[in-house]
Amino acid sequence: MKKIVFICTMCLSFAVSSNGQSPFEQRRLQLLEVASVERERGFQTVTAKLLAGRDREYALTMLDSLTSDEAIGGMFYSYSLIGCYLHTRVVLPDSLRKKVRSAYRNRTMYRGDTENHWVTYYTGLYLAAQTWPHQDGTEWFNGKSSSENFQESTEWLNHWIRMSARIGQGEFDSPTYISVFITPMLVLYDFAQDPQMKRKAQMMLDLLFADFAVEHLKGNYAGGHSRDYPEDIVNPLAAPSTFWAWLYFGEPEFAPWSEARFRPRHRGAWEPLFGAVSSYRLPDIIYRIATDRTKPYVQTKTKRVRNIIRFGAEKNPPVFKYTYMTRHYALGSLQGGILQPIQQHTWDVTYASGKPYNTLFTLHPFFSGKELAMFFPEEQKFLSDEVDRYHKVYTNPNKWNSSSPYEQTFQHKNALIVLYNIEQGAIHPHIDGFFPKNLEQRVVDKSGWIFCKAGDTYMAFFPLKPYEWIEEEINWRWRSHELKNGAVVEIGSSTADVSFDRFRKKVSASIPLFKNFEENLTVQYTTRMGDRMKFTFGGERVLNGKHVDFARYRFFDGPYLQSEYKSGIITMLYKGSKRVLDFNEVSITE
Amino acid sequence: MNSSLHTILTPLLMFWLSGSALPEGNQQDSSAYFAAVYFNRGSTAVGTLGDIGLFRKREGDTLWINLRPNTITPGVAFAKYGGASLLYLAGGNGLHRSADRGKSWKVLTGWQTNEILSVALHPTSSSILYISTPFGVFKSTDGGEHWGNKMRGFKSWYIRQVKIDLDVPESIYAIDEETLYRSVNGGEKWSALNVGVQGVKCFLQHPVDHDILLVGTEDHGIRISLDRGKRWRAAQGLPSSPVYALRSSQDGKQIYAAGYQTGVWKSEDRGRSWTNLWLATGIDAIYSLFVHPNNPDHIIVGTNGKGMFESLDRGATWRQAGLPFAHVKQIELYPN
Repeated sequence: MKKIVFICTMCLSFAVSSNGQSPFEQRRLQLLEVASVERERGFQTVTAKLLAGRDREYALTMLDSLTSDEAIGGMFYSYSLIGCYLHTRVVLPDSLRKKVRSAYRNRTMYRGDTENHWVTYYTGLYLAAQTWPHQDGTEWFNGKSSSENFQESTEWLNHWIRMSARIGQGEFDSPTYISVFITPMLVLYDFAQDPQMKRKAQMMLDLLFADFAVEHLKGNYAGGHSRDYPEDIVNPLAAPSTFWAWLYFGEPEFAPWSEARFRPRHRGAWEPLFGAVSSYRLPDIIYRIATDRTKPYVQTKTKRVRNIIRFGAEKNPPVFKYTYMTRHYALGSLQGGILQPIQQHTWDVTYASGKPYNTLFTLHPFFSGKELAMFFPEEQKFLSDEVDRYHKVYTNPNKWNSSSPYEQTFQHKNALIVLYNIEQGAIHPHIDGFFPKNLEQRVVDKSGWIFCKAGDTYMAFFPLKPYEWIEEEINWRWRSHELKNGAVVEIGSSTADVSFDRFRKKVSASIPLFKNFEENLTVQYTTRMGDRMKFTFGGERVLNGKHVDFARYRFFDGPYLQSEYKSGIITMLYKGSKRVLDFNEVSITE
Repeated sequence: MNSSLHTILTPLLMFWLSGSALPEGNQQDSSAYFAAVYFNRGSTAVGTLGDIGLFRKREGDTLWINLRPNTITPGVAFAKYGGASLLYLAGGNGLHRSADRGKSWKVLTGWQTNEILSVALHPTSSSILYISTPFGVFKSTDGGEHWGNKMRGFKSWYIRQVKIDLDVPESIYAIDEETLYRSVNGGEKWSALNVGVQGVKCFLQHPVDHDILLVGTEDHGIRISLDRGKRWRAAQGLPSSPVYALRSSQDGKQIYAAGYQTGVWKSEDRGRSWTNLWLATGIDAIYSLFVHPNNPDHIIVGTNGKGMFESLDRGATWRQAGLPFAHVKQIELYPN
């Protein structure tokens, strides 16, 4: 009887809600509908089918298969399984409930080695231990009792939340990995029985979404990223973050699963389904921050480097982010250097566009065993091969994601200087730039500037050294083989510059100065707005004669999101509204 | 993978079962080999768990069995305290202990320790444990209930290996990949031993002459001390290739060394000079070495991604010995 009531309630709420509810309600129900007809095996699709009252037998078979298949397991399995179970347990037969329970006894939930691994692992363990309390160690894969597992998970989640709210995430602003921070927090918010933990999960969700919102541009996660895959870097709307933007911010307007660019890589990845069935609701202020681009603004952030285990003086040195947001484009950067292994994306301009590949950036395709050994405990000599096996492109000279010790940036609003000082004998002694082929214009000006136009966005790129163009399928690869190298970038738009020609005229009047660059590695540039930038690789960043001091960076600084470093207090502002997350008091005030 | 193992191991097992090579005691003692294995870090992260962890092959068995838990496993250790036999696994999820030879496990460490890279067991007290991790050495004095960080004196926090002195259990050795450290007070304070070079990768104390210490290094072959760490010099004969593993026969008459593109080397003068035993063509690196305690003719090596190879004639000939794609970090033989 209980099951029938539950199914009827869900179907009823589904039917009622789909009639003239808020746009978010409509989107979440649309997502539930689409995910519920998905045929590929996954905990989210099981959840969708059971909650939508569709394909029940198929869903149960799918769940049975997922809990029987001992070839899969680990941290992602752990939190997804408990999320699915807690959402649907009322309609599960006893036999499947027992199978779900035994999954936490019979298979190793591997804890992994990254921040998202530990968040998913400990969220899964927390909720599992809460769900099956008072059981001894023989009932758990790790031999610890329910209370031991619950305590350990609580401690680590508190530790992570405390750190993330004070010095930032190590896997910050990742268009891919944001999914595996949001989703476990949604599940934790929905099912943590401890009101403190539930509130903390809510605050973390607010923080994750606000962090995204201030760098959100029409579905794109703009700015520098700690980690991302090349497919998403060159095609930003292909990233999983787009799905979350669609669900919570209502942008882009197209449904991600119907887009060819999104679907192939993320088929079966329905994590946002846990958002569609969650009781968490995005505060309106975050929605406004994410979608109001009427005025350009600068947002700075402080994050942290992933845990350094070797070759470092500090475990988590700070990362400094700078992003300039407009309604047409965002120019964003990290300060450069090795801040994350393998998947770092240091800078780009991302522009609002109906076309794919809406970005432009440069990088040095660096790899080394030493870089990896900074972050992984294995033997330095084999790490590159190990990583290449999984990430495929790590050692590739043509890759589109990379950190490099030979790359540094200096940004001021819509202008950026990126410098390279590549060591003699470096394995890939060149720098590459991604210029999408679908730009409306790509003009090499006699002044040395390369001007590009994409809709309302105008881009100017001044290479310091000779280069070549290599034609590829979706892009022109700008490549320069000089070791001491760099570029100056300035971005404009139809709003700020009226026309592309006018933008070109203004920018080409200002030529970067880099006399004796081989010796001093210094570039000076006066932007078209008259700001004077001076940057020396490994040295000072000077703006209008004043030294730019990263040590003065706040945790968040911008018109919409503010926080002092290590304060634990995050303030969101939008017009007359204000929302304060106080992680010290575990309170939210508006 | 398992069917090929069967083919490979059958002749070996037939040989063993005939009893021609092993002493009486070993036949009565149905011992088991344990191999600590991890695979590609990436594949473990996404949840394919079948090929990592601790593997066991009993005498008389034909296959290596994957004992749960499936977690990146750099090391294994075994000790008997009174009537209790305890098996420890140094792994990605923490330090595991089993009191029933791997049927069930308990993780002894919490969230404060990351991956466990090695474990050192006190010779007489099950209460005292040392682990090395990417973030330091930790010690427990209550059998793993609580852990304290023991890093006073280290210059870096990545500690690759920790070992207890064969004579004085309060004397502990640890390596941080730069040099060898020693604590004479159970880890409370550490002092670097000046081995003369940097890049220390592995450590061995001679099983008979305990004053002889050996370290394998990244770029300088093997360094030897004959006075328990006061003075060091280069061992003779080895190339300057990285040495990741050192292992002695139980009587100390043969010591073996291996590493990155080194093949296997042997010393019969307690580590002073070395000769090449096996080129190991096609094997880029060897992580671990094993010498049968009762049969020094039997040597096993654990490789980086090519499983195990063994020799039954003290290194004259070699053959595949199982887990052909495994990264084998440690091989041990423990009594039942």
